[in-house]
Amino acid sequence: MPTLNRNIAPPSSDIEGIDLRELSTFTLHNGIPVYYIHTPNSAVLKVDLVFNGGIRNQNFAGQASATGSMLSEGTEVLSAKQLAEELDAFGAYLQSRTNIDDSLLSLYCLPRFLHSCMPLVVDILTNCTFPQKELDTYKRNAIQRYLVNSQRNGFLASRAFYSSIFGNQNAYGAPVNQIDYENISRETVLSFYNQNIRGRIKYIMLSGEVDLPILAVLQNHLGSLPNQTAEPKPIEKNSQTGHSLFIENPTSVQSTLKMGCEWVNRKHPDFTKLQVLNLALGGYFGSRLMRNIREEKGLTYGIHSSVESYLETGVFYIETEINNELRETGLREIRHELDVLRTNLIPEDELSLVKNYMLGSFLRGIDGPFSLMDRYKMIIDFGFTYDYFSKFVDTIKAVRASELRELANQYLNEELMTTVIAGKK
Amino acid sequence: MIPYTHFKLPNGLQVIHHQDESTQLCVLNILYNVGSKHEDPNQTGFAHLFEHLMFGGSVNIPEYDTPLQMAGGENNAFTNHDITNYYLTLPSTNIETGFWLESDRMLGLAFNQESLDNQKSVVIEEFKERYFNPPYGDVWLKLLPLSFKEHPYNWPTIGKEISHIENATMDDVKSFFSNFYHPGNAILVIAGNISLHRAKELTDKWFAPIPAGKTIRRHYNPEPKQTEARVLTHHADVPAHLLVKSYHTVARNHPDYYATDLLSDILGSGRSARLHQQLVKERGIFSEIDCYLTGDVEPGLLVIEGKLSAGIQIEEAELAINELLSQLLHTGIPEAELNKVKNKGETTLRFNDIGVLNKAMKLAYACLLENMELVNKEADYYQQVSGDDILRVSNTIFAPHNCSTLYYLASKHANA
Repeated sequence: MPTLNRNIAPPSSDIEGIDLRELSTFTLHNGIPVYYIHTPNSAVLKVDLVFNGGIRNQNFAGQASATGSMLSEGTEVLSAKQLAEELDAFGAYLQSRTNIDDSLLSLYCLPRFLHSCMPLVVDILTNCTFPQKELDTYKRNAIQRYLVNSQRNGFLASRAFYSSIFGNQNAYGAPVNQIDYENISRETVLSFYNQNIRGRIKYIMLSGEVDLPILAVLQNHLGSLPNQTAEPKPIEKNSQTGHSLFIENPTSVQSTLKMGCEWVNRKHPDFTKLQVLNLALGGYFGSRLMRNIREEKGLTYGIHSSVESYLETGVFYIETEINNELRETGLREIRHELDVLRTNLIPEDELSLVKNYMLGSFLRGIDGPFSLMDRYKMIIDFGFTYDYFSKFVDTIKAVRASELRELANQYLNEELMTTVIAGKK
Repeated sequence: MIPYTHFKLPNGLQVIHHQDESTQLCVLNILYNVGSKHEDPNQTGFAHLFEHLMFGGSVNIPEYDTPLQMAGGENNAFTNHDITNYYLTLPSTNIETGFWLESDRMLGLAFNQESLDNQKSVVIEEFKERYFNPPYGDVWLKLLPLSFKEHPYNWPTIGKEISHIENATMDDVKSFFSNFYHPGNAILVIAGNISLHRAKELTDKWFAPIPAGKTIRRHYNPEPKQTEARVLTHHADVPAHLLVKSYHTVARNHPDYYATDLLSDILGSGRSARLHQQLVKERGIFSEIDCYLTGDVEPGLLVIEGKLSAGIQIEEAELAINELLSQLLHTGIPEAELNKVKNKGETTLRFNDIGVLNKAMKLAYACLLENMELVNKEADYYQQVSGDDILRVSNTIFAPHNCSTLYYLASKHANA
């Protein structure tokens, strides 16, 4: 038997031929598009109803998420308690999520209970009443959560960051304050519901055990509802760059540092390459920021950089919870890493590592019906064609270090970045 | 149904294989049977600090992360009271890279002073980030020593105090490694798009040559039965009072575990759960309230934890919980409510079986409990629980002398 050489890595191959389960589509009688991925024997089912009920469609701060949270708090037929008891009786979970561009109502259940859960969902889609008592409970608890969050540096820094780069009068930058929760009334929630949710499904996504009988149940309950989609409202940004803000939180033993700027979004031809650049800088455990500021200097438990893509704009930021006393060192090292990316080429071995890691991440991201559906949602929302993923893979494989250095000069300019620190003076 | 094959190498390593052809990925999950409960009470936080050191390079490989990332892989780890668990995911074509990396760090670490000093600072920042900086972050630093007087569950995984981490030396690290990091103290799960034949071949190649080791465990006493109620009051600069009540309960392998878990669901799971319905929605005493099990291997805790609404006194809130519990003991569990929590439990189990990493962790944990059948029988165990079972465990758990209470009071009580 040959001796085992543990010093040399076993051969590994590049990731080729990504095998993507296809997205199927069908249309309900009333015209609602349905997208689904059938995974045989998965024994679970997730139904996502998507609405143009995002923050951008609200008239008052906090209105969209209050409406989303209140959807299962009572209808003309069932009280909040009855709704909760009936859904729980079938072992189902109902979850609402409010994003900037849209909102979702998601049902998680065992496939055999879908037909029992659907009448409750239909009731919520058509008959919500938002009882005053339940709204009062929501407001009281939301205010308390807000007060707890207001002691968290991360929360304080994020609010200030988005308000600073986008202005505080629009969906991206408007903070929700205590007074906004206090001002939410039954009327504001009801009007948001009527305009954006009630009979206003934009599309439906199904993942898990989606066989023909499941599609029939959906058609049966939702196919004959009157339906008309709300339009997304325009967002008026007041973009600003290069601010520096400090928020004092005298009791903290660490500071949150958040630094970044408005960026391009997924529609822009540079976007995929910028994702590669972001990954190298701070997008994974072995990133330059993690190596320098965590692994070499021990200033933090974690530091990362991220890219966010909304339908009409994007954001780039670096964020960390950092040792109070050595905050300035951290900031200096972040600037140094940005400077290195603008000046030097990323060495070839690092670049191929970043590419391989990113392709591996992509594989993990499409594994399993639910995460795959999340990826497809992005394609649906941006109106891309299904070859987006293969183009994405090709772009990552092809990008060169010189292109990334050019992009770093174009997009990583710290004079245009806003820096927010929340912590002890 | 999760099919699996379980075998043991001559050096003592337990191996479990599960094939899933629907994925392009493969997972290696290695569970080491060492957690914070195995630590010296004067040297706590060590198992977790050690987890960090496992990424600082091994005897033949200077860096762990780089080759893994080069092969498209990702990894992480966690430590709790009972175990330290490491896992990685790779495209299945590149899984041998994972075998190479994991077997080398089981063989030996690089033991580098610089890496030790650095990871001590990182862990101290983690301590601050999780336990000192966030509001209510230090609740477990208070609750565990109140609940456990003898058993080493009485400190959190991060450690009792920062000085224990600061004082760790290279000699401590080395002896910890040789005592706990060897094949006989580990469970390897290989799950994903890989045949049993290939899994065995790679295990033989990379893990079989590692010499067997021996673990000496410190003796510790089981937690003596609690005989009187305990109370601790703590003041902090937080916006609302927090009430935490912990009750001793059974071990993970005890037949009553399932009835206890369903009891915690009746009280705390979902919007129709009793605590939320009665104390948040109907009476407005709490803004949020939860009930859960710590789920440790040895007898752990059932915890009820809630933030009070503004203006409510802590005594009133505690009385409301106690009344709700005595009502449960008095009237029992209606059949419909029992079916509800069973259905919810089934949904949770099924959703947890999505994803090959979840399945791998479940297999490793069942092996640790020496109860492999758990992975496929658990749903049945839940179905077999009766209302009387739940009532019986409730009577034991909610006996007043079995309870420890933490009054975590807001020194500036908002709106009061």
